[in-house]
Amino acid sequence: MSASLLLDVNDLKVHLRLGHKVVKAIDGVDFQVRPGECVGIVGESGSGKSTMARAVTRLMPNVNIEELSGRLAFEGRDILGMADSELRALRRGRGFSMIFQDPLGYLNPTQRIGRQIQEALSRDAGRGSDKARVHTLLDEVGLPDAANLARRYPHELSGGMRQRVMIAIALASDPQLLFADEPTTALDATVQLQVLQTLYRLHKERNMAMAIITHDLGVVAELCDRVYVMRAGKVIESAETVTLFEQPQHDYSRRLIELSTRRLTRELQS
Amino acid sequence: MSAPIMRMTRVEQLYISRNANGPGWNTVRAVDGVDLDVNEGETLAIVGESGSGKSTLAKLLLMLNRPTAGDVQFRGTSLVSLGASGRQAFRRQVQAVFQDPASSLNPRMTVERMLGYIVQRHELATPRETRAFLAGHLAAVGLTPPDHYLDRYPHQLSGGQQQRIAIARAMMLRPAIIIADEPLSSLDVSVQAQVLQLMRDLHRATNVGFVVISHDLGAMESIADRTAVMYRGRIVEIGRSIYERPFHPYTKLLLDARLSLDPRRGRIRSLSATQVRAEMPEPMSGGCRFRHRCPLAIEICATADPALRPVGQAGTFAACHRADEVGASPRPAGAAAVERTPRPVET
Repeated sequence: MSASLLLDVNDLKVHLRLGHKVVKAIDGVDFQVRPGECVGIVGESGSGKSTMARAVTRLMPNVNIEELSGRLAFEGRDILGMADSELRALRRGRGFSMIFQDPLGYLNPTQRIGRQIQEALSRDAGRGSDKARVHTLLDEVGLPDAANLARRYPHELSGGMRQRVMIAIALASDPQLLFADEPTTALDATVQLQVLQTLYRLHKERNMAMAIITHDLGVVAELCDRVYVMRAGKVIESAETVTLFEQPQHDYSRRLIELSTRRLTRELQS
Repeated sequence: MSAPIMRMTRVEQLYISRNANGPGWNTVRAVDGVDLDVNEGETLAIVGESGSGKSTLAKLLLMLNRPTAGDVQFRGTSLVSLGASGRQAFRRQVQAVFQDPASSLNPRMTVERMLGYIVQRHELATPRETRAFLAGHLAAVGLTPPDHYLDRYPHQLSGGQQQRIAIARAMMLRPAIIIADEPLSSLDVSVQAQVLQLMRDLHRATNVGFVVISHDLGAMESIADRTAVMYRGRIVEIGRSIYERPFHPYTKLLLDARLSLDPRRGRIRSLSATQVRAEMPEPMSGGCRFRHRCPLAIEICATADPALRPVGQAGTFAACHRADEVGASPRPAGAAAVERTPRPVET
């Protein structure tokens, strides 16, 4: 295993049992993230992109899993065989975090924003009071008036602000890798642009690696260094972003790119 | 140009709800004085961010909402004055397609029963001929062989197939217009392209008009004859060429927010040095409702609420004091993505 890899996934398989059928949600996927890089995972619905992120971060509900195998290493440590306490330590300090499409579904409606961020803070000593750290985080993700905002409840915020709160919670543990599953799909275009800009700035400032799962090739073109194209549980193509857009090797990738670009023109009409 | 088939005059829609955190009532002016003509056989797109009132506008056109003020007319007759028979005739002429096809199809009926009911209700075919009638309409929306789909339940179909069923259901009645509220947003890109193509084909074959509500400017650019941009309950710009030449700063903002599909020309990487802060929603208070977000706001914007007025080429209207300056400025940055010609693929 190369030491320069932050995350190294080899031959990952996730087979789910649905009734009597077995669905090969992930069927032998290799996936790597180097420290400080931004990787995109694109695919249409059902391609397995979200399942992969969940398997890698060990957020899979294990009720219907028929098979979960492969080699999953974070900084050389095996994630799949890791004890829960070790995993918790990895999530709480300098490990990985995850943000989701629908922030409202992951925020506690009865708790103030500040408290929810505080709960996720890493336990490193000597970095100021919890309150000050919460305010710094709120400020860092581009939310105005941190002191006031920390006392608000999730329902008082707009969708874009909630997603920024989710990002603040994810950053509270100072992760080396941030998984973002469709981070801006539920947001308006103007807000999407702001949130993506914020993510990119944090990625650069903190030298934090990002893995962005999206169906939107625009997000990939704007942010990612490398891309994995997924279809039906397999990675069908992986390449540098520029290479993928200019010389897609696989028919399916080419088709996705063509459809996305052509929609912007009236070519299809003729 | 032919006479408008639907006409909205000074339409307002208020939603009133109990205040969640205390006594009193909240009033939301979802649609706030809209004048709009829908022409026979045209594809009219209505775009805007969430909360701009575009779905409420769709409900008003479908007579699912009664306007608080103003009038909605269909072929010169006011919808509020329609009797029972007039309403049924109206429903045949104006049909709906919704965002989430799974929830607009009855999960407990097969496609044949679900659509067959409508055939009987509107006496489109005799009971004996119903199946053949339905098969013809499913084939017309690209579901072939139709028999394969007639006996299925909605959950046995993919999202794209479900949306085709919803479109077939609307088309069966030979409507003059279909009002489609976010018909693409629950579909994958490749399926979106197919549904857009289907809408174009149906339009060409039957001259059915579409009013398409969407937040996706890219998709609308490829299909719309005219586009109306809504902001906080108002139409702020309407015209044929808003994508190439916007006259309202909000339209420009929306166009600029589109992501580039050229990794060499991405804008986020270059903009990332600047901290972009979330904005607190500003309360509405006189003047132009966009002025808090507007980079061009001047004194007059705080005092006078701009009305829609003709700008640029005929048929384009914008509600902005400085529309002419916006229209004269260079093309929006988002257009860079459009100009990009795909490089030849080397294999």
